[in-house]
Amino acid sequence: MIDARSLARALVRRGASAWTIVERDQHIARLDADLTRSEQRTRWYLTVDVDMPAGRGTAHLRLDMLAGSVDAIADQAISLAHAGMGPAWSSPPPAAPARVDLDDGSLRDPVAAVKRALPAHAGVFATVTAMRELVSVTTHAGFHTTWPATLIRVDALVTSAGRSLAITRASRTLDGLAMDAAIDDAQKDLALLATARAPVAGPCTLVLHTEAMLHGGLGVWQAFVPQADAATERQGLTRYREHAPIVEGADTAAEPLTLESDGALPYGLESAPLGEEGEAVRRFPLVERGLAAGLALSPREAALRDREPNGGVRNLVVAPGTWNGTATGGRVIEIRRLRSLVIDRYTGTASLEIALGLERDVPFTGGSLRIDLIAALATARRSATKLTRGNYEGPTTIWIDHSDLLA
Amino acid sequence: MTWNRREVLASLGVGAAHVLLGCSAPARGPVHPQVDAGEVRTWLRDAVSRLHAAGFTHARALAVTRHRTSAALDVLGAGITHARTDGVVLSTGTAEQVTTDLSRAGIEAAVRALAGSVRAPASVDFGRAPAPLPVTKELADYELLDRVTHLATRDTDLSSRIVYSAALLDLDDMHLWAVAAGSDLEQRITRVKKSITRVAWNGTRPIVSEVARAWAGSIDDKDHDLTDADLVTAREHALALMTPTAFPDGDHSVALDPSIVAQLMETAVRTLLTAPAALRPEVARRMAIGRRIAAPLVTLVDDPLAPGAYGGFAFDDRGERAEAIKLLDGGQVVGVLPPRRRPGHIGPLAAAPSHLSVTAGTVAAGALLDKGFELESGLSAFIDPSSDRVVISAARARERLGGKRTGRLYADIELVGELTPLLSAVTAASKETDTFGTRDDVDHLPFFHSVTVPALRTRGTLRARRRPA
Repeated sequence: MIDARSLARALVRRGASAWTIVERDQHIARLDADLTRSEQRTRWYLTVDVDMPAGRGTAHLRLDMLAGSVDAIADQAISLAHAGMGPAWSSPPPAAPARVDLDDGSLRDPVAAVKRALPAHAGVFATVTAMRELVSVTTHAGFHTTWPATLIRVDALVTSAGRSLAITRASRTLDGLAMDAAIDDAQKDLALLATARAPVAGPCTLVLHTEAMLHGGLGVWQAFVPQADAATERQGLTRYREHAPIVEGADTAAEPLTLESDGALPYGLESAPLGEEGEAVRRFPLVERGLAAGLALSPREAALRDREPNGGVRNLVVAPGTWNGTATGGRVIEIRRLRSLVIDRYTGTASLEIALGLERDVPFTGGSLRIDLIAALATARRSATKLTRGNYEGPTTIWIDHSDLLA
Repeated sequence: MTWNRREVLASLGVGAAHVLLGCSAPARGPVHPQVDAGEVRTWLRDAVSRLHAAGFTHARALAVTRHRTSAALDVLGAGITHARTDGVVLSTGTAEQVTTDLSRAGIEAAVRALAGSVRAPASVDFGRAPAPLPVTKELADYELLDRVTHLATRDTDLSSRIVYSAALLDLDDMHLWAVAAGSDLEQRITRVKKSITRVAWNGTRPIVSEVARAWAGSIDDKDHDLTDADLVTAREHALALMTPTAFPDGDHSVALDPSIVAQLMETAVRTLLTAPAALRPEVARRMAIGRRIAAPLVTLVDDPLAPGAYGGFAFDDRGERAEAIKLLDGGQVVGVLPPRRRPGHIGPLAAAPSHLSVTAGTVAAGALLDKGFELESGLSAFIDPSSDRVVISAARARERLGGKRTGRLYADIELVGELTPLLSAVTAASKETDTFGTRDDVDHLPFFHSVTVPALRTRGTLRARRRPA
């Protein structure tokens, strides 16, 4: 069996200029109604930089096991780095890891944790997965750090007579799941679905409630993540450039949008002391009062811009607004749940398929929306009430003017 | 502004880029098995015996060693990569212990985790050990590179408009053991996937065209390999010029090419025709046994024993001998898939298809449609299990009028509606079929599946694509 030290030596012998080895030693437990599953595994993530006269090449490898010889793995990494050659850059000096707690004591025994977290509601079919891992990062600069982290995820199907809704929750802590509230909400929506009618197409004002807004994780806010990708921005493929309004008038809106990435949020789903390339994770703004304010910077992108790396977009923190949650005027459609949400990474244009909506408190199901999310969210009214779920912290509800419901 | 090759490929959406970039590591000789099959069987039998001694009389053991080799050639050179993964799943019926340590010590540790320390193994009759598997010739790196070079250079009529071209050979060689009381099984599956990629500019945007063939068996199997017609298809799809006018949204007769039928059927089976899907009351009602959901000419079978099937196997990941399951018979639901497969053979059990096949019809594919649109190159299919809503995205729609092509070719089209009316409106199936093999990634574990389907004629609502690709 190969260890990180011998792999590092093999890389140095082959002329690697910089390298990072991340070892994740994981204990995973999974429980559903019929079966308890326990798994021990180790995964390795290797980043290797090679300097040549033509520039610097970088390789990223993921290995499920370190079998065979260190020489073969090192050869593969070096050749991959040669093939990914780009402009020259030098690795930034190591910075202190972010100080963040990711280890929930109640999840230290994943098998016991999944048993405690399995919902016991009638008509609910759930699978619970819990993981405790020990992450070790070793870099070429002699930097070595280790931290424990926990994670729990519940995938549940909530059923009533004739209908069902799927819900997913993930958290670093057992208490952070809030499954009882999620199941209660789903059961209320199932009751609404039982009387839902067909949608009526036409112009409308939209209110996106939490489940719809955060569909699949970050939901509509995911539109801003690829826009903050530094490589995409360097290629000129993003909607907006740094320090410019994200759309025309975004900086003069009634409630200009502010959102930031916080990778040091205690027990944040995406929090970590260090990134996959050994860079320190830092909090940074993506949008500040309607202006593009920052980019996700890997060590390479940071070096090319002469800045500090920040570990990329982690947990998204959206500043709440002042809206009291009541939409007024014209035709107001409240969207409670989506069937699907697909966002174009370059334009931010999204297609939303509606699972449950309300028009004047009358439920409907079906219909779709096509929204320019960057423009819509730049001027959307945000609720004053906040919530934290998964890797999102921000308003519970948003209000989007000037939309068009398609049947 | 400077771009490197990785960024160019990523921006073009070329799926094989991550492999193509792993080029030019020093070549090495044939890769020999790194575990002894007889030893593995002994360890697994010992594990099951110890679990029996602890009172787990339904104990089973499954082990896999998987070796992946990818050889690629593109405009900048050729290369090859190797990776190996092992795994063991011990099951008592109500609990599973999984480890990636395929050794005596690793398996003993897994037994202890399930049963505590057990002193002596129980006496268990495993039946006859399977006959030793035939030894297959391992290929050296230079032999694989020779094959991928041949693949890349077969099409000699490439246009200067093709700005990027690549060939990829992907081999997944798996050795599996399944041991339980009265059952001792062993299989070796070599899954082969060959693909070529062509990229050409059409106006201001790049068009990526990829054709692939995937099968289980010999790397040199001519029956399943890419044909000259496949290479021409890849080239022509990349070079096709699109009609610049807006697509006429509305209800149309449509001919779905096999790639679209494949996506539709696979998505329908995964979403609706599995035992876990039937936990949804609306799915259980709509997909009840005996319920008609498609036209009488639609018969659908999941057959892991189909010869050469990329998703096929001799025994499943529960350790039970494979058998075909009929899902639709003459348009009626007659079965659902049980959980019997694991991603990478060691992941959690999942109800997923292995090799789906739809019965062919009697009409030539070119004669399916008199007036309407031929949809080509399926991109994605979405089915909402709670409502039957379906959205199928296709790369192109070709107009036909009076049984002939008009020359109009529209890009990025969606077929939308409800699944049951769409399948019930099927009025013809082509006599020609096509086969597709897919290697999905589930939590970094491979999941192999395949499908053989004809083209279908049906009727539905077409519109310019709303869902981003």
